[in-house]
Amino acid sequence: MIMIDPVITALLAIFAVPFIGAFLVGLDRKLTARMQSRIGPPLLQPIYDVIKLLHKEPIVVNRVQIIYAGLHLIFMVLCVVLLALGQDMLMALFILAFSTISLILGGMSVRSPYSRIGSQREIMQMLSYEPILILMLVGIYLINDSFMARDILASGKPLLLSLPLIFPAFLMVMAIKLQKSPFDFSTSHHGHQEIIKGITLEYSGPFLAILEITHWYEIFLLFFIITMFWATSIPVGLLIAAVCFFCEILLDNIMARLTWPWMLRFMWTVALGLAVTNVLWLYI
Amino acid sequence: MHLYTFLSLLLIFGPLIFGLLVMLAPGWRYKTPVIVLSALTIMAGGILLALQGPFTLSIDSGLMKALPLIELLILAIIIYIGFAIKKMLIIGLGILQLAIGLISDMLPHSVQAHVPTLKVDLLAVIMVLIVSVIGPLIVMYAIGYMKRYEVHGPEQMRSTGLFFFFLIGFLGVMNGLVMSNDLKLLAIFWELTTLCSFMLIGHDKTEDAGESAYRALWINSLGGAALMLASFLSISASGSASLDELVAVGSLLPLALICLAAFTKSAQLPFQSWLLGAMVAPTPVSALLHSTTMVKAGVYLIIRLAPGLGGTRMGQVVAIAGAFTFALASAMAISQSNGKKVLAYSTIANLGLIIICAAIHTPLAYAAAILLTCFHAISKAMLFLCVGTIEQGIGSRDIEDMEGLMRKMPITTVIAIIGMVSMMMPPFGMLIGKWMALEAVIMSPLVLFLLIMGSALTVVFWSKWIGRIQTVAYHPVYKIEDVPFSMFATKGVLLLGIIAAAAVVVPLFKRVISPMAMAMFSETVVTSRSWDLMNSASAFIEWPLFFMLALVVPVLFLVVRGIKKSHIRQPFLCGENLEGAKTTFEFRTLMDKGESARIRSYYLNPLFGEAHLTAWANPIAIALIFIMFGVISK
Repeated sequence: MIMIDPVITALLAIFAVPFIGAFLVGLDRKLTARMQSRIGPPLLQPIYDVIKLLHKEPIVVNRVQIIYAGLHLIFMVLCVVLLALGQDMLMALFILAFSTISLILGGMSVRSPYSRIGSQREIMQMLSYEPILILMLVGIYLINDSFMARDILASGKPLLLSLPLIFPAFLMVMAIKLQKSPFDFSTSHHGHQEIIKGITLEYSGPFLAILEITHWYEIFLLFFIITMFWATSIPVGLLIAAVCFFCEILLDNIMARLTWPWMLRFMWTVALGLAVTNVLWLYI
Repeated sequence: MHLYTFLSLLLIFGPLIFGLLVMLAPGWRYKTPVIVLSALTIMAGGILLALQGPFTLSIDSGLMKALPLIELLILAIIIYIGFAIKKMLIIGLGILQLAIGLISDMLPHSVQAHVPTLKVDLLAVIMVLIVSVIGPLIVMYAIGYMKRYEVHGPEQMRSTGLFFFFLIGFLGVMNGLVMSNDLKLLAIFWELTTLCSFMLIGHDKTEDAGESAYRALWINSLGGAALMLASFLSISASGSASLDELVAVGSLLPLALICLAAFTKSAQLPFQSWLLGAMVAPTPVSALLHSTTMVKAGVYLIIRLAPGLGGTRMGQVVAIAGAFTFALASAMAISQSNGKKVLAYSTIANLGLIIICAAIHTPLAYAAAILLTCFHAISKAMLFLCVGTIEQGIGSRDIEDMEGLMRKMPITTVIAIIGMVSMMMPPFGMLIGKWMALEAVIMSPLVLFLLIMGSALTVVFWSKWIGRIQTVAYHPVYKIEDVPFSMFATKGVLLLGIIAAAAVVVPLFKRVISPMAMAMFSETVVTSRSWDLMNSASAFIEWPLFFMLALVVPVLFLVVRGIKKSHIRQPFLCGENLEGAKTTFEFRTLMDKGESARIRSYYLNPLFGEAHLTAWANPIAIALIFIMFGVISK
């Protein structure tokens, strides 16, 4: 991590990250369109969308929603800032979880059955991936003897070589976090599923824009974590991240949606099994 | 007389006398001022004691000779209760304790002059503060609660005087427990907490209450017997009856017995059933049992024993047992729709977490254990008081019935939401404690795994509950509910306490708890890894968090203020919303018929159902206790 003033680092993280995230979302939409033999929107379409949303009249179902949208954003930004400052990753992960919980509570605060089902499914998603993320950090700790993000380079050896089983488990988590098939239960980018837009259904205008911006931070965060697996050489790390990103999009387009009980079983057996196995040999 | 002698007398015997006064005072007109005055006196005493700082006190041997007599009296009462409710188990356990007590009294045990009878170190000061600041608040809350309770309850529930005697007396007993260093004295206070909880749980005199009270009595008497056996072994081995020496000598069998006693009192698996049954009692009792007294006695003892447990195989088994309880109790809480039961399981889980930290015994774990004990007490007290208010307001403690609570009881709902949020979200203390606990157990894979699973499960039941009570349609103005002043004010004070604690948690950790843990370990050998973890946790920077919150809270406030009725729309319901519907859940369906949509929460009974989880969790927990004793002989 380059040693610059922490305040500047924090500001950089706050203002530069969403644009990278928006670019990634745009790329996702473009690639998806091409896979479906469409031309697709311009690369900067997500930014145009958000600007338009921000100019709309604020429409809500109740006032509580707004508070949770704000908390969702602020905790996500905080998580990115903590990582950029090289702080404790476990704490950053907790804060990421609270960002998601705020989204869930926002979805549950309205008297809409669709939104509420979506929220409950989101809780189940958290339940299925949270242990794997913590186990990933345990693995990183066992290699580096530190929870600090700034010490990630300490071992001098790419993490991927020590965490070969945790890496695929993390990719499964990433598919859930990006709301990609087969894991897009709580909401999806396509508004034609049985619970429509699920957890975000009752958000509109500027408040939907807040959720979109938060998603940009989140997508950057996931991309950043993949890159970290080969932090000794950033270009290699980026290449790996790009390949993984492409695979996620491909998977999204060729898979059908399954049910959340299936996801819980799958994540707690296959993904958790992989992560536990990997961590176990690091202990011995 | 020194100030601290006076204070310890006030804090231990004061509540008993105050309780007696309240009992004798006729009618609410006289009871209320006496209760308020005694609560405030206890509070002032606790705070003065904390300002006074740590001290030790030796009671001269003449007075100590009276202890066996008091012990005899208490055990006679327990045996009498056994006869009165016709339970052989109670009689048997009473006689067993009596036998152990009599034999250990006959042993030549020299009361050494240098061993203090009461030892109030920093840990004890913190415990006294918890007991005598949060406890009196619960007592004052009970004024408003019991007034209503008397009106609605049947005839036999109206022994309010006796109720307050035990409620207030409990605080004195608990203060005595955390201050005593002499094992005999400790055992007496231990039995007295058991007796108090028996009387309070059985207050309603219904069949249910009787059954629960009996269960609490026998499980805790079992623990009492284990504690007495430990003190007997310690006296017969080293001739010393002090807790300090027992820890210093580090003989494992007495330690294991005390751990067993602590498990019963802290309702760890397989002893959880008494605490779950205890919810039949009036809510102030639950609040007291779960937050400041009773269950905290168990974890307090394990924290006290920690130096003896640290680094031993037995200590590891204790940590695993705590972790097992943490994970399983969190899982069982998911399947519950009874609000009080969810809180009870969450208490059991958090006590497990504290036990893990105590048994791991590294500087960071020790600090986490103390932080968790403090923050759990304050948050859980407030949550129980909220559930009590809600129950009296809507006539149900079922979470599904709490739909739309925001409209019926806005203030209580907001307080309850903050209470629940404080159990899991930043910047509140519980989260900091959990974070430190996770880092502290990093070198014990099994404990770590159970802890990870448990903390993921915890989030599920809290967010389900918060989601249920906050659901609300748009209301420009809320009608404030009618709640008695005492119930309203005490919750307000606790709320301020939670917010203040959140603001000072990091400085508190850096200035008080961390040096306390460092001092604790200054003479012990710990691995450099534990020091590194401690140092990096102490170096945690909190400013980004508060900076962000300070930035976003005013903005959100302004945006929320700006929302007018014209910005409000009805939620989408797959059909036209019914005009003037009572709930916004009603919509127009086929042939213009009105249809209402209703969404229940997930309870995942096939996966986390209480009955079938308990069926295999209890045998494993029993096995863990046997293993705890088994590893001693290895």
